[in-house]
Amino acid sequence: MLKMENVSKIYRTELIETHALRKVDLHIKAGEFVAITGPSGSGKTTFLNLAGLLETFEEGDYYLDGENVRGMNDNQLSDLRNEKIGFIFQSFNLLADLPLYQNIEVPLRYRGLSQADRKQRVEQALETVGLASRAKHLPTQLSGGQQQRVAIARAIAGEPKFLLADEPTGNLDSLMAQQVMELLEKINQSGTTIIMVTHDDKLARRAHRNIQIFDGQVSDLEYSVADDIVKRA
Amino acid sequence: MFRYNLSLALASLQQRPGLTFLVILTLAIGLGLYTTVQTMAFYNSSVPVAHKSENLFLIQVDSREASAEPITEQVSMVDTTYKDAMNLQQWQIPGVTTSLNWNTNGVINVLDNNVPAIRSEILATNSHFFSMFETPFIYGSGWGSEEDSSGAGVIVISRAMNDRLFGGENSVGQLLRIDTLNLKVIGVMADWTITRRFYDRSFAPGYLHEFFVPYRFALNNDLPRNARFNCWSVETQDNPQFRTENLQRLLNSECSWISFWAEIPDQQLATYQTQLGNYIESQKALGRFPREPQMYVTHLQDQVNYYGNRNGYINTFKMISRLFFAVCLLNAVSILLAKFIRQSREVSLRRALGARKTTIIYQYVLEVVLIGFMGGLLGILVSKIGLWGMLNIRLYAVDYTITAQSIAHQYQLNWLLIGEAFLTSILCALLVSLYPIWRVCNISPATQLKAE
Amino acid sequence: MEIKSILLSLKQNKFMASIMVLQIAFTMAVLSLSVLLAAATLKEWNLPSGIPHDDIIRVTPRFYDPNMNVAAAVQHDLQRLQAIDGVQAVSPTDQVPFAAEVVRDVYLSVEEEAQSYKTNIFSADEKLLKVLDLTLIAGRAFTFSDVIADPDAKNSEVMISQSMAKALFDNGNALDKTVWLNKGSDPVKIVGIYSDFMNGETLNYFGKSYQTMILPRSSWQFAAEPHYLLRMTPGLAVQKLEDIATVFYQEQGRYLAVYERLSRIQKRMYDGRGSRALTFLVISLVLVLITSFGIAGFTSFQVNQRRKQIGIRRALGGRKSDIMAYFLTENSIITFAGLLLGTVVTLFFSFELSTMEQQNILDLVLLMVIALLLWFINVVAVWLPGRRAVKVPPAIVTRGS
Repeated sequence: MLKMENVSKIYRTELIETHALRKVDLHIKAGEFVAITGPSGSGKTTFLNLAGLLETFEEGDYYLDGENVRGMNDNQLSDLRNEKIGFIFQSFNLLADLPLYQNIEVPLRYRGLSQADRKQRVEQALETVGLASRAKHLPTQLSGGQQQRVAIARAIAGEPKFLLADEPTGNLDSLMAQQVMELLEKINQSGTTIIMVTHDDKLARRAHRNIQIFDGQVSDLEYSVADDIVKRA
Repeated sequence: MFRYNLSLALASLQQRPGLTFLVILTLAIGLGLYTTVQTMAFYNSSVPVAHKSENLFLIQVDSREASAEPITEQVSMVDTTYKDAMNLQQWQIPGVTTSLNWNTNGVINVLDNNVPAIRSEILATNSHFFSMFETPFIYGSGWGSEEDSSGAGVIVISRAMNDRLFGGENSVGQLLRIDTLNLKVIGVMADWTITRRFYDRSFAPGYLHEFFVPYRFALNNDLPRNARFNCWSVETQDNPQFRTENLQRLLNSECSWISFWAEIPDQQLATYQTQLGNYIESQKALGRFPREPQMYVTHLQDQVNYYGNRNGYINTFKMISRLFFAVCLLNAVSILLAKFIRQSREVSLRRALGARKTTIIYQYVLEVVLIGFMGGLLGILVSKIGLWGMLNIRLYAVDYTITAQSIAHQYQLNWLLIGEAFLTSILCALLVSLYPIWRVCNISPATQLKAE
Repeated sequence: MEIKSILLSLKQNKFMASIMVLQIAFTMAVLSLSVLLAAATLKEWNLPSGIPHDDIIRVTPRFYDPNMNVAAAVQHDLQRLQAIDGVQAVSPTDQVPFAAEVVRDVYLSVEEEAQSYKTNIFSADEKLLKVLDLTLIAGRAFTFSDVIADPDAKNSEVMISQSMAKALFDNGNALDKTVWLNKGSDPVKIVGIYSDFMNGETLNYFGKSYQTMILPRSSWQFAAEPHYLLRMTPGLAVQKLEDIATVFYQEQGRYLAVYERLSRIQKRMYDGRGSRALTFLVISLVLVLITSFGIAGFTSFQVNQRRKQIGIRRALGGRKSDIMAYFLTENSIITFAGLLLGTVVTLFFSFELSTMEQQNILDLVLLMVIALLLWFINVVAVWLPGRRAVKVPPAIVTRGS
């Protein structure tokens, strides 16, 4: 599903070079729910950017759903993002000027789907997150938890292969966070791969697999998956 | 508090100097063109002899034949016949003086062959012309009532002609000739800066007369009469030439061709009008004035207003400059909005630290007034350039047949116009900042801080 | 395109959108009015003169002594002028090209209800054709013996310009036909047709720039003195101008009213209109500049305000071209509304102006060209700052949170 081999990312300024990621080797299989943890400044965001094709990298190979993205041009990357990846952000990143319906429609537009197709998918996504009645509301008219559910709806409307979630519950209180987590798990169960960046151990433990990033290096943390299942139950 | 707010306003002005400058420039260009056109319009409608323009009246009576077309507008009404002009100027009403004039022309030459002769329009008028219309003199003066009746060969000339014919010397007492007739210079006029040639009803801008002679002299020597003659049809049956011939016949005729003016004090106006009505009645008995009595006693102010409003070029220009200004103001709104919204965080912080909404408004209004002031200053500069340009365009358009000097006063800013420009600038700056200020002062103390 | 989304987004920014619409509308109004005025003023402007106007001098002496023998003085003048070095030909005429203002009506039949044709009639001697360098197209040119000097005698022959021939007869076949110079009287026979030359402002304004006639006549007298037209050796006109003027000084009983090259009269004929139209055009160009700067500035502000939004769109799979298309579409919607309103404003004011200027200045084709031009300028004004928008990195979405 997602395979990184020897991927490095270096930020250069005139004075210094920063190795944000060093020789990352990582393989995430289809259907996994992966949590990524690590202290701030460790390279979590850089990893997210690379995985989400938001930034390019200099070294290594990155296979997304079998395709090597290295050396792809901007348009190819855009199309790949649009088709394979759904994003969920800590600060929701909804388009403030647009009602929910049009917000969710944005990636479908870029994919060039027909109006009927878009309508069907938007409505289904809204249904999934339980906000069907709010299609015409503006994001600012919703609570934080509702906004994040809209963001999730937008992320899944295009039926991407995997979701990238960046601290999806960071701006939410615990009750809302709980709801959002449950939603993500539901989505995962229906087959979508999820990669979630978080600093919350409790949340991380609910994932199938935990990966830690420390000083630009990636390593798997050993948890018993069985433990998790027990906790979840 | 004022000083603190002022320093904040100044700091804010400097914060985005590019944007500040852009707002000021936009305001200034719009205002500059607007003021340029306002200035031209101001002179276009400025009234000569303003302080008594409501006491200087053009007198018109309808002396035409019975079958003539009805006239409903003062401007279309005919001039005065010689008979009536002579009768009316006989009246002795305290405080009332009268003047009459018509255009003539001739070749002005001096005996010195080194000075080229020049063909020129000449105004035939009476002695009261100079006092009623307050013409300025540098040497000598106008003539007196003696020359009015004797028709002596005296002449008043303009400063420009005095420069040309006599090298600018005091020429009073010198001889000059109209065609082959000898005249003595009696006065040299200083620059008479009126914007319209009102006295002969032409209301043409610029081009004042350069020579003035007693009307009796013009009659005695049969100088040509460049007038529009409105005659009874019996008098025009054989197409008589009244311009250069048939003087006696013209004087005895019912042809109207003379501009007749009266200076009437307020308290005498009613008396004058009654007397004019009575005069028409009394003339009817002599077989004249066959029509329904109709007269116009119109003061100068009204006439100037009429012509001022009719200038198509100025009106078009006015329309365009207003639209232009509007676009500049709209432009300023968007720039100001952009500028103020950039400061949202700062305002939010101030609010969080306890600044009241009114304090924020106060600070921004102060900033905007400063912008308006500078826009006004720069705008006046722009309009100076604009007026200079318009003056030169005018000179170019008339192929330099008039001198810059003779019309420069019509392209001059005065304190009134400058004041108006400043006021407009500051008011407009406040107007365009209404929405941006409203937006910025409604920023809540919290949101901006949290969002980042 | 996502027009509906854009409209919904504009709804959230109603104030700014309407400011932009108004700005574009007024800009269009000013530009259109200026262009319409200029077009109306400049029609028939700067047409070819048909004569070597740089090499022709016009001299106008006037007599003020009624006892002067004008006919003799004119003869004397002509001889003296001809003798000046550089003067190739001289002809006395009663009108001057570019300044012929005495417009006459001529007729093709003697009846009371005959149709009238506008023209300028030049009374001149046989040398006028040479002075003006006109080409004989048909018939014959006048000779010395055709020129009538007796003030009481009437002409029986006339030459007309090619354009005049076309105006009088559809096929231009005017030779040997008769024209009446006054209603029901003064018939003359057309004996020659010459190449066109510019008459004067009045007929020019009516689109009849080249309708002229030449009458072989030289009956000068007091108060009916001629102008002299002098054809100079090419290049000598400027240099000789003062020499020529000197001939007329030092003589009592007359003065020199004007002496100048015809090129100066030509300039004067067009300058009033030209400078006026140019003023308006320059003003409206400045305005278009201001507006396009305003739009560019505002777009660049929008780009800054919306960096995050742009990033989100990019992250969701929007290509760079999608972002540019978004800005262009958004602006085009505003521009379109502005142009629509601008057309209404322009129509309103052009009716006002048409009354003020006493001519219909409206021209719908021109209006559409202006609308297209403004739209194009707007596209450029958006495209330039828009290039910054597409450079917003999609990774911005993961920052600042």
